[in-house]
Amino acid sequence: MRRTFLVLPASVALLIGLLTIPASLQERRASPAKGGVGDITGPYEVPDPKWPAWAHPYPKPGHIWGSQGGVFAESPNRIYLANRGELKLPDTVPPNFPGNWGFFNQQAATQPIANMVNCIVVVDGEGRLIEAWNQWDHLFEWGRGPHQVYISPYDPERHVWVVDDMRHAIFKFTHDGKRLVQTIGILDEFGDNDDLTRLRRPTMIDWLPDGTFFVADGYGNTRVVKYDKDGKPLMKWGTRGTGPGQFNTPHGIAVGGSPPRVFVSDRGNRRIQVFDVNGTFLDEWPGIAPHSMMMSADEHVWAVDSISDRIVKFDLTGNVEFSFGQFGTRPGYTWAMHQISADQDGNLFIAEVFGGRTQKYRPRPGANPTHLVRGRSLMPMAGSTGN
Amino acid sequence: MTMRLAFLLLAALPAALSAQARPDFSGTWKHASSMPANYPGSNGWGIPSPTVVITQNAGGMTIESGQFGRQSMKVVFRLDGKDNVWEGPSASQSGSTAIVKWRTKASWDGSRLVIYTWNTALNQMRDTMSLSGNTLTIVRATEQPGPSTNATLTYTKTP
Repeated sequence: MRRTFLVLPASVALLIGLLTIPASLQERRASPAKGGVGDITGPYEVPDPKWPAWAHPYPKPGHIWGSQGGVFAESPNRIYLANRGELKLPDTVPPNFPGNWGFFNQQAATQPIANMVNCIVVVDGEGRLIEAWNQWDHLFEWGRGPHQVYISPYDPERHVWVVDDMRHAIFKFTHDGKRLVQTIGILDEFGDNDDLTRLRRPTMIDWLPDGTFFVADGYGNTRVVKYDKDGKPLMKWGTRGTGPGQFNTPHGIAVGGSPPRVFVSDRGNRRIQVFDVNGTFLDEWPGIAPHSMMMSADEHVWAVDSISDRIVKFDLTGNVEFSFGQFGTRPGYTWAMHQISADQDGNLFIAEVFGGRTQKYRPRPGANPTHLVRGRSLMPMAGSTGN
Repeated sequence: MTMRLAFLLLAALPAALSAQARPDFSGTWKHASSMPANYPGSNGWGIPSPTVVITQNAGGMTIESGQFGRQSMKVVFRLDGKDNVWEGPSASQSGSTAIVKWRTKASWDGSRLVIYTWNTALNQMRDTMSLSGNTLTIVRATEQPGPSTNATLTYTKTP
């Protein structure tokens, strides 16, 4: 099995693209580069720094969005943004301030303490505000804001799921955000590894077609919890450690393949582990420490590496097929990609927790389609004809 | 009449037994265990204080120690199952201090008392307290944006 090792100090991230990409990809790099040094944006154009358009004027004067935990593109014109609150800008802002917190080079964008407002918003493809779910801002006041946001591709009602690690809970909302229909875990109470009722800093979620879902849980409990479609916990696997089936901060999860497998980002151990749906260890892919992963429509695992700030495409046996990206705060660069999502038009959205922004990457004309992140199609919404 | 009295006594018995099983943690306690390997947390959060002073009555429990940060602090837990919320200083992970919201909650699990402390500077602590003679055992779990910690702490009562 061919595998590519990506673990290198972040300071030499530039070299990663040259040293760690399979020979076939390096040959392609010998042709005129489209992405510039390090293939920064891969098959995508450099994002418009003014997207989403409202992000700059929307926070109250003197404030700016902070850490961006998540993004989910339900469609090209309905994109959910998970914002970890707003931060007060310094009294003096330089004229070249681009509008995102990462410009100030302060890690995490969670310091100083953020005001938990505008935590879940929905924008259209041009970044115009459609909905602000301010009625739920209070849910995030005792934590650090939403960790990630999802819609199950198999849910005809398109409930919106928001993971909140510091409140040890996962919220399931109606599609329009008017009702909180379920809370997984007990709000604010964190349990131990053998406690199936409580979570301890959960991070990410993914589903099987029958609605069964898996939660990476997470920073504290270092395990995966499997639930039935109604949210009843069925089983868990994993303990803290470095061996097969053990974890150190399982921070991402993706489910897919035939038979279905559960791919877990074991971030602290710098690897991806592969399990069957009952937690039997199958494989590990070392050398990458993803903040997040997603299963694409073409059944590949896309992982966003926390060390190299590169987006890596794996086939389901662990072969690296493509990668791009580079650390930075200028448009197109990223700082701690925390969730990626792609719409049906091929646009890619990347939320950055340290960069403090969400960027929209549009495909370049003529881009190799196998290099584009393809979001899974969602089940048609009940009572609707569109996607 | 006799039947009614017997029924009332039977109804009251579980509550009485439960109340009897609930220990009184009041006292001055000296930390008697070694420092857990995964400590300290940032800015003193969760570090076992050398001395803990606990006052407990039917309505609540007050813990005075430095385990809530670098400076000693009195933290009140209600014992009626309700939250106690107030504002006070706390260090953040970056080391700066700000006035933030604090919240505590306590619940009995048999003879053990489970207490939570949270604040909006993202410091969280769960202590499971149990008493055996003059030994107080606290199973502590803390959460911050950084690594989680788990520790079992023992304290000895001072005369």
